[in-house]
Amino acid sequence: MICESCHQNLATVHLTEIVQKYKKETHLCEECARTRGVPYKNPLAKDPLSAKKEEPVVAPPPAGELAEPCPSCGTSFSDFRASGRLGCPHDYEQFKRGLVPLLEKIHGAVQHTGRIPARVGARIERQRLIAALQRDLSQAVEREEYERAAEVRDKIRALEQQQVEEPST
Amino acid sequence: MMGELDLNEVGEWLSGTGPESDIVMSTRIRLARNVVGFPFLTRIEERRKSELERWLRDRIRGAKLDWDVSYQNLNETSPLERQCLVERHLISRDHANSKGDRGVAVGPRGMVSVMVNEEDHLRIQVLRSGFQPDAAWRQILDFDKRLEGQMDFAFSPEFGYLTACPTNCGTGMRVSVMLHLPALVMTKQIEKVFHAVSKIGLAVRGFYGEGTQAMGDFYQISNQVTLGRSEEDVLKTVAEYVPQIIKFERNWREKLITENRVGLEDRVWRAFGMLERARLITSEETMDYLSAVRMGVNLGLIDAIPISTVNELFIVTQPAHLQKLSGSELDTPERDENRADYVRRRLASLN
Repeated sequence: MICESCHQNLATVHLTEIVQKYKKETHLCEECARTRGVPYKNPLAKDPLSAKKEEPVVAPPPAGELAEPCPSCGTSFSDFRASGRLGCPHDYEQFKRGLVPLLEKIHGAVQHTGRIPARVGARIERQRLIAALQRDLSQAVEREEYERAAEVRDKIRALEQQQVEEPST
Repeated sequence: MMGELDLNEVGEWLSGTGPESDIVMSTRIRLARNVVGFPFLTRIEERRKSELERWLRDRIRGAKLDWDVSYQNLNETSPLERQCLVERHLISRDHANSKGDRGVAVGPRGMVSVMVNEEDHLRIQVLRSGFQPDAAWRQILDFDKRLEGQMDFAFSPEFGYLTACPTNCGTGMRVSVMLHLPALVMTKQIEKVFHAVSKIGLAVRGFYGEGTQAMGDFYQISNQVTLGRSEEDVLKTVAEYVPQIIKFERNWREKLITENRVGLEDRVWRAFGMLERARLITSEETMDYLSAVRMGVNLGLIDAIPISTVNELFIVTQPAHLQKLSGSELDTPERDENRADYVRRRLASLN
């Protein structure tokens, strides 16, 4: 069957529409179907959504960032899968995509809810404070309260300085 | 501050003085911690590992503790001494058998200890007599905070304390309660306990923790999950369920007494007689007899021996302790003779 639009290529997209109670069939080649914006799926091409569904949740294949070894310790995700042990704290970030489903399986959760070390806690507190002060600052500028804005800006700078001085974890 | 580790000092957890200590031998909490700036031990070079060991030792020393700590580098410790530490529940088997610079810091009477360079940089432990999860938690929290003042722990707001094995990340906390459950074993009710605890996220482990066998009717109940549940939350689950197991064991003990007091007395006294008279005795046999005697003492069926001595014998009759006491290496048949001899003399000295 030849494409009804270009009359040249083989029609591989067969569209069935109901137009005012009547069935209307259109036969197009892939190219013409695409230019007409017909929503069709090539059954041979991988649909990103269905491909995702088929992936085993527990052991995603090392792809994308998982294929890269950790720049900090050199551990690869396959090293981890073989030994069950990570190489350094940074691996949790590096292999996050692979670890999250695993953590979900082990713990039934992926978010820490327990204690926070005091130093880290202070950082988180400070980050929150800085965010709040930044809101104050834009408000002050909007209202043209420049003296107040300068005060707030100095406070923010002091806090940011503290963040830099303390090594992050 | 740091002296020689005194192996002759009996651990507080064996004193039998804590709450519910007729059934609960000990409550243990451990925290897994790693410091920023060093890889995990799976990925560390020997030189860095040695550097880390010294660094951590100095930080522990600088932690302004209210008590004295003895620190020992296990690379410079004999295998026998290391095995003794395992038998006292101060270090893990893996820590004893691994290689390179690693150590253990022990507080008075073994109540607090820290393994340095085990699977994680630090494994902090509090071990207390009887059932006292809250007291153990307060103690380890205080210790953790003092150490925290000395170093930056690897931590992420999302995954909590970062550990070498993802099964420990989050709180890094494991609470283990060691229960003595002879009546439930005798009446074959123990399977029911295993089944029930597994449903609420608790695991059952052997006398020396993960992957070890139950001996002398001792079982350790511990939490499995460390991520997504707070420390208090886990402690609450333990505080809720362990008393139910204690009650279950007590009820069966009472039932055994009511239904066949003489039968139970006979069992307890026979066990005592074996310990008092035997000339050759294996470790397993000793544990079994001691278990019966322990229950007998707690039920008032026998008063010939204090509970602290029974508890102590569970540990001192283990292979490494026996060899340390005798001052020489012993093969298995020699140990069986030596063990029988030691127990016999110990019991005779009570009169």
